[in-house]
Amino acid sequence: MSSGVLAQYDTLHGTVAAIERLRTAGHTDIEVFSPIPAPEIEEAMDIHSSPVRIWALVGGITGCMTGLLLAAGTSLGYPLVTQGKPLVSFPPFVVFMFELTVLLTGIFGLVALLVHARRPVINLDPNYRASFSVDRWGVFISADGDERIKAENLVRETGALDIEVKA
Amino acid sequence: MATAEVDVRAASPTLADANRDITRPISRPERRFFLILGAAMAGIGLGAGAWFYQIGKGIGVAGITHPVFWGVYITTFVFWVGIAHSGTLISAILYLFRSGWRTTINRTAEAMTIFAVMTAGLFPLIHLGRVWYFYYLMPYPSQRQIWPDFRSPLVMDVFAVSTYLTISALFWYTGLIPDFAVLRDRAKGLAYKIYGALSLGWQGTVSEWRHYRRLYLYMAGIATPLVLSVHSVVSWDFALAIVPGWHSTIFAPYFVAGAIFSGVAMVITLMIPLRWAFGLEAYITKNHFENMAKLILLTSSIVGFSYATEFFVAYYSADPIEIESFRWRAFGAYALPFWAMVFCNVVVPQALWFRKIRRSLPALFAMTIFINIGMWYERFVIIVTSLAHEYDPASWGLYTPSWVEIAILIGSFCWFFFWFLLFSRSLPVISIAEVKEHLAHEQGGHHE
Repeated sequence: MSSGVLAQYDTLHGTVAAIERLRTAGHTDIEVFSPIPAPEIEEAMDIHSSPVRIWALVGGITGCMTGLLLAAGTSLGYPLVTQGKPLVSFPPFVVFMFELTVLLTGIFGLVALLVHARRPVINLDPNYRASFSVDRWGVFISADGDERIKAENLVRETGALDIEVKA
Repeated sequence: MATAEVDVRAASPTLADANRDITRPISRPERRFFLILGAAMAGIGLGAGAWFYQIGKGIGVAGITHPVFWGVYITTFVFWVGIAHSGTLISAILYLFRSGWRTTINRTAEAMTIFAVMTAGLFPLIHLGRVWYFYYLMPYPSQRQIWPDFRSPLVMDVFAVSTYLTISALFWYTGLIPDFAVLRDRAKGLAYKIYGALSLGWQGTVSEWRHYRRLYLYMAGIATPLVLSVHSVVSWDFALAIVPGWHSTIFAPYFVAGAIFSGVAMVITLMIPLRWAFGLEAYITKNHFENMAKLILLTSSIVGFSYATEFFVAYYSADPIEIESFRWRAFGAYALPFWAMVFCNVVVPQALWFRKIRRSLPALFAMTIFINIGMWYERFVIIVTSLAHEYDPASWGLYTPSWVEIAILIGSFCWFFFWFLLFSRSLPVISIAEVKEHLAHEQGGHHE
């Protein structure tokens, strides 16, 4: 377990304000627990994008190509003319390309979430508290020595409801 | 939408209230619940028994025969695919448009979507008769090197419906992950382990939310065109055939509008008793129902316009076969289902022009039952009247469903409600994380 300070807040606004002050004071190793999705926290921590978008794009392209290759390849592999249409009939094949684009975009996106958020895990973070899934926001600042004391004072000033110091 | 927000604020639940109120129904169910569940299981038994009887005796025990080879099974398939549409529509499209009122209804609507697709997916199998040959539709490298015909809309349907089921389930599950963490944190023993596994160890870290929000946005983005594509593909099962009454370019938008219409009606049918039974009045307000009623009014108008357009196109084509097909649809042997369809889907929803009706839950509940019935009849009318009265008078004929088909139809409703009942007592029927997000921002980041 790393040493530091765990502070609990009961408002999103207070949490964001605390993160901003901590970062201004030079604390960059911060973990935040939030009961709700809050882009404000990401902005305060200067996080702007997620690699999920790259995975989704790769999944979509893979799906589209798979749809085309499956429909066209099997039609050419067993060349039986039906409905008087060309063997490689692009318009009906678009449906398969589209469906597989959507399918693999979704699957790749979910895999990306698991990979980048490092889930699933069996044991929860030792700094996690059950109240973080109810109505509390948790801010854990990894720090040692004087830095830890400085962080503790800062979170106290920003109105933290509960403060735990971990040596 | 502003109206929904006012109601939520007036009720003033805190974030902790939201956790407690929404998870309250997830407890040991009372006797009444088991009685209803038992009734649903009895209905499933009836349907399953009839299906096994059909498998044993052959498809001849169903009423489908020359010239009507698509009857109750395909009608019910299209009906349930249609019902499935509003769930993802409400979730995805309204999410992209940032409509606040979706928050309390999306979870239930998505669940309804999944159970409806699960129900719909049974019907092509039942309709096959020899169900064990269904794998012929799957593209797999067989010994004979024969593949499905990728130019056939029936194969498109397999891909569209299975993709829709998968994506809807992923979208639903993704939304549930933070709520599973809520359930985990209040559970003990085995429940803790189950909800813990389902939550994947979710802790609401900034990294988790960051990837989650991006994924949810993309899921909504891809689910939106998927919703539109699936019922379009289902409509092409008909429109690509040269059967009079089917071979029309308006089928895709006509079917999509009908699907949204019937799906929203089913959401209301399910949510009114759910809201009452679980005491969720502070979260699912009359404004939510009013907004859904407006959606019904809009789609009812599109559906009614499509009915009229079909007749106009037949008249304007000057094709005697097409004209006769539609004349017979309205005044032939199946006139009663046709006019029942018009009454339920076009006439009854006109009452929704009145705000008082839109906000009256008993009136809405009764109206949506009419719409559910009317939309089943719509599919029946399109399928059966067209096949029964094709080109050659010598091959005209009538279709009457057999008791086997009726039993399976009843069983399908029981199957759908069975899953919905289980869902209502084991998972949060409202998205806890989204409601709390809404509350936190409504209250300016402060709560008592």
